[in-house]
Amino acid sequence: MTIQSLSTKWNMFIDTFLNKGGYKEVVTGLINTLIIALVALVLGIIIGTIIAAIEVQPRKGKVLDILRRICSIYVAFFRGTPIVVQLLLGYFVLLPLFGWNLPSVAVAIIIMGLNSGAYVSEIMRSGILSVDIGQMEAGRAMGLGYGTTMQKIIIPQAVKNILPTLGNELISLIKETSVVSFIGVVDLYKAFRTIGSGNYEYMMPFLVMAVIYIGIILIITFALKMMERGLRASDKR
Amino acid sequence: MISVRNVYKNFGDLHVLKGVSSEIQKGEKVVIIGPSGSGKSTLLRCMNLLEEPTYGEVWLDDQLLTPADPYLHPEVMKASKTYQKLLAEAGSTGTADEKLEQELLHRIRQEDLLNEKHEGKLYKETLKQIEKEKRVNVNLARQRVGMVFQHFNLFHNLTVMENLTLAPVTLKLQTLEEATAKATELLNRIGLYDKKDEYPSKLSGGQKQRIAIVRSLVMNPEALLFDEPTSALDPEMVGEVLELIRELADEGMTMVIVTHEMGFAREVATRVMFMDGGEIKEENTPEEFFGHPQNPRLQEFLSKVL
Repeated sequence: MTIQSLSTKWNMFIDTFLNKGGYKEVVTGLINTLIIALVALVLGIIIGTIIAAIEVQPRKGKVLDILRRICSIYVAFFRGTPIVVQLLLGYFVLLPLFGWNLPSVAVAIIIMGLNSGAYVSEIMRSGILSVDIGQMEAGRAMGLGYGTTMQKIIIPQAVKNILPTLGNELISLIKETSVVSFIGVVDLYKAFRTIGSGNYEYMMPFLVMAVIYIGIILIITFALKMMERGLRASDKR
Repeated sequence: MISVRNVYKNFGDLHVLKGVSSEIQKGEKVVIIGPSGSGKSTLLRCMNLLEEPTYGEVWLDDQLLTPADPYLHPEVMKASKTYQKLLAEAGSTGTADEKLEQELLHRIRQEDLLNEKHEGKLYKETLKQIEKEKRVNVNLARQRVGMVFQHFNLFHNLTVMENLTLAPVTLKLQTLEEATAKATELLNRIGLYDKKDEYPSKLSGGQKQRIAIVRSLVMNPEALLFDEPTSALDPEMVGEVLELIRELADEGMTMVIVTHEMGFAREVATRVMFMDGGEIKEENTPEEFFGHPQNPRLQEFLSKVL
């Protein structure tokens, strides 16, 4: 392949990108990708924390046992099937079945959030177990309940311990969003694909797409490092 | 004020407490000593139910903290089918004279005859009635009894001031202003007010432990439990912590202290308890306890540590 043909391809891409409105598609895709990943992570953290708190609760009881069962089925399902399958099931099976009318972005957020929750629950569980048992005892000994001590003492410390791992979860969520076009969401991948399909020239669009993905992830990695440093204020390390 | 009645604690096959009974009176300073593994920390932790006894009861004044133990209530035993059966076997109908009654109750206790599932409705109702009348939420009881741990257990994610005010404010016992005022007073008392915005990781062991002690004092507890408060400290920091505990003792605080500091025990205690193998082997005033120990195991123990 000659330099000349590469340069032609690049010019064609720039033309579609700037002059034929391709950048609008990319901006939409970028925003969708980021929104889906971020909201899904928040959803995942909430779900994961609740599941982890149920799983580490040492007490026995009928209600707790049922909850634990539900949690383990949930985790087994979302870890045991590909995310594409979950998206397809959500969009093409559940929506029509219940007659719900949701935009595909919302479905993507919910499904990816549920998926992430299954993974975060394991991360959070190990985070909670990494907090010294004495912290829980000290809280309980002063008359605070299990839930209150969890919420005010244990989980903040657990989150700090697992922040690097949660960062990884955000990064893999961003990358996994590249499959949401299966249910018609315009994400980064879909945007660049559209640009390329105008003249069947995919080389440059996909190259630029890769660069953008790397760029986002480097920025997030940096932001997480800074955040972690801030949270370590209460640490000797 | 704290009463432990026939408490057993098993961790699987390990029998850590084997029927311990003791009553801590208001104002008493009870020091528990004993070799490691003797169950002294477990006993202390049973007093605020950080460990739940396998059998037996723990009371705080007239409030029951554990489930009711049928063997500690003659009226419950007498309501059981087992008792009725024994009564019939003894040839008595309906009522028994006092001597027979005592004999049967003793036998039920000794031979562990009660079987929860087959004792009938009356038995269950009598047991439930006791719990309904006497049992309280353990969280409420814990607000009245503070605890100080070997490893301090200050909340790592909170500043010193937040450590002190968290529990009373969260439990709505005090407003934030009240708790802050009380905490300020206590921190000034131990000379650590300038550390109020530090995180625990920035403090020395002695400072951490003194802050842990005042953290429990913010709750205005009626009694304090100390679980080897100086065992994790550098030797030169032991003094400042013991000094604070001594001051609180002089002010009349009810205390139960598990410690290896014999000199401190002799000085502060109103009663010293020796535990070994999950039982209280000897308890006495410090003078008698250290001056004329009776139990051979205690004599051996003291000869090693003094």
